[in-house]
Amino acid sequence: MSNSKRPIILAVLLTLFSISGVFAATPSYKIGIVTPTLSASEDEFRGAVLVANKYPGMIKHLVLPDHFSEEQETAITQILSLGDDPEIKAVVICAGYSGILPAIEKIKAKRPEMVVITAPIWDDPDMMAKYIDLSLDTDWVQRGITIPTKAQAMGAKTFIHYSFPTHMAKEVLAKRRDKMKETCGKIGMTFVEISTPDPTTGGGRSPMLQFLQEDIPRQIAKYGKDTAIFGTNCPMQDVIIAKALELKFIMPEQCCPTPTQGFPAAMGLEITEKDAGNFAKINEQIKEKAAATGTTGRLSTWPVAVGYFFPEFAARLAMLKVEGKLPSFDLAVIEPVAREVAGVDVRFTPMKPGLNNYFLIIMDSIIY
Amino acid sequence: MKRRLGIQLPQLVILVFLVSMLGLAFRLDISLTSLLGDALVRLVMNGVLVLSLVPMLNAGIGINYGLPVAITAGLLGLCLAVNFKITGLPGFAAAVLFAVPLATILGYGYARILNCVQGREEITATFIGFSFVPLMNYFWAVAPFSNPAMLWPIGGKGMRPTIGLRDYFSKELNTLWSFHLFGITVPAGLLLFFALCCLAVGIFFKTRTGVAMIALGENEAFAKLSGMNISRLRILAVILSTILGAVGICVYAQSYGFIELYDAPQMMAFPAASAILVGGSAGKKTTLLHVILGTFLFQTTYVISGPIANALMVPEVAEIFRMMITNGIILYALVHEGKRTREKYAAS
Repeated sequence: MSNSKRPIILAVLLTLFSISGVFAATPSYKIGIVTPTLSASEDEFRGAVLVANKYPGMIKHLVLPDHFSEEQETAITQILSLGDDPEIKAVVICAGYSGILPAIEKIKAKRPEMVVITAPIWDDPDMMAKYIDLSLDTDWVQRGITIPTKAQAMGAKTFIHYSFPTHMAKEVLAKRRDKMKETCGKIGMTFVEISTPDPTTGGGRSPMLQFLQEDIPRQIAKYGKDTAIFGTNCPMQDVIIAKALELKFIMPEQCCPTPTQGFPAAMGLEITEKDAGNFAKINEQIKEKAAATGTTGRLSTWPVAVGYFFPEFAARLAMLKVEGKLPSFDLAVIEPVAREVAGVDVRFTPMKPGLNNYFLIIMDSIIY
Repeated sequence: MKRRLGIQLPQLVILVFLVSMLGLAFRLDISLTSLLGDALVRLVMNGVLVLSLVPMLNAGIGINYGLPVAITAGLLGLCLAVNFKITGLPGFAAAVLFAVPLATILGYGYARILNCVQGREEITATFIGFSFVPLMNYFWAVAPFSNPAMLWPIGGKGMRPTIGLRDYFSKELNTLWSFHLFGITVPAGLLLFFALCCLAVGIFFKTRTGVAMIALGENEAFAKLSGMNISRLRILAVILSTILGAVGICVYAQSYGFIELYDAPQMMAFPAASAILVGGSAGKKTTLLHVILGTFLFQTTYVISGPIANALMVPEVAEIFRMMITNGIILYALVHEGKRTREKYAAS
């Protein structure tokens, strides 16, 4: 072999090695992420798309039917299909629905080694802790304390809670309302509970939203501007924030705290494709609009969408677990990962004393 | 006389309910003037949507449960106006102008389907509405609109579920020429717009085509014998209903201050249908009075029952009463209609 050919062979060999090295670095497993459709919930859907883009070839993104409760069987079949794929080593479900646990039970019966993380699903907590490796959710009840406390710090003297019978029949939401009432009593704030027309009966959500539009000005005329308004239903937030800009009352947090709920529609935020999903930019825009409408210090939320944070956070934990880098889901290990993904502090509390695989989170707030 | 005014027993019951609630509101120190102002806004906000049911009802096609089709045309018009950043009253006018041709096209297709299922139009229309909404969900998610105020805040592509109209034409009609009378805010522009829509429909039903349409609704066999082009009349009625529905959602959206996309139109046919039944339209011939009376009674019970329920500290009770009375009247209307249809068939 001539000397002149040696460098070429070396280069070819090096390239081959490096290519094989790349292939070796790409893990040979996949993670299934299950979310609602884009129109049902943008946050979770985009969160999963973000993870899929960050880890190309590693993510299988499944979308549940638009009307989950009516097509539960389809949803269960979809989730079970993940268990049939031998490449899939972990399943992350970010759906906020009840009735998914049977699918997880079946997957676990067939493949006990499959890592399952839910963030969140809403089934029986004890059963969830039994079958699911790690369950995550927002600390809905604890927010019954944090929201009125924050509202008072923002200057509120009255706290109005808008809801309707179907929501108040849900245990978690009723408990949060009770906590809010209790907290208001403790810190010396007037608590007012108002019932709106129920969006689940015949007429849909428009009677509820029209009622809010008419009722908020009446309440502000009665209790004054230093009133915090909280609504328990997502579509309510557009109206509440729009009215806050007009009447300058306090909006301490939406039902699902995120800068992407209510604010974009009520403030007409112009978010270009380049800035889309950039929470720092979106928060900056909200701040500017708040200043322009004289509502600085009157509006607050969590700086990142929980629904957007959960898919990435859960997928990262699933990867660590599958790769054997995470012996258990210990708080000391998962807290730094949460901070890295969210960019702010995330506080975890066990769902029930004694449960070490079901945690509820609260994030730090941003006041615009 | 009562009959001629359109006020029959069911309307009397609901009127008594309304008046007693107003009395209660007065006793509870709830501002009656603001309630009445809200009732006027609601009358027009929902009135045009209710009015849109009239052509199809009068042509004997039945209640337009496929209203989401018309609403979609209107939403497209609204989105186009916002996309081109047209503000103020011209923005609202542009939305209506964009919506009308779209409604004509969609209405034509919708009418052709309804013509294939004569006799089962209402249930077919319900399913057309229900299947059209998910189809449009795909469209909204990928629609190539470019105004960043309309796009998803995280994905940056596709339409948001709610688009704020604050910077465009929110409440333009509500505030146009509005004035205060005895403490009541009268939205004169809004009322005038509704009056014009009603007038247009009223005039249409005085024309030859309009009269023929009513005749078709009254007795199809007779209409056929007198040489009317039934298929054409039915298509025209559906197109007219669709156009009015599209205009109706434009009025609704500017008054509400938001454009609501995706699943929002799904259930919107039902309050409109309830209103027209509450108004006393139980047979084939529906008049403008049924529309106005029905919308006013149906919506005003909503306006008044909420604050009273909350003031009395038993929120569920007034809501239950409201639902019992309005749904009871709807049931009465449907039974009444069934009886009339049976009698008609027995006679023929």
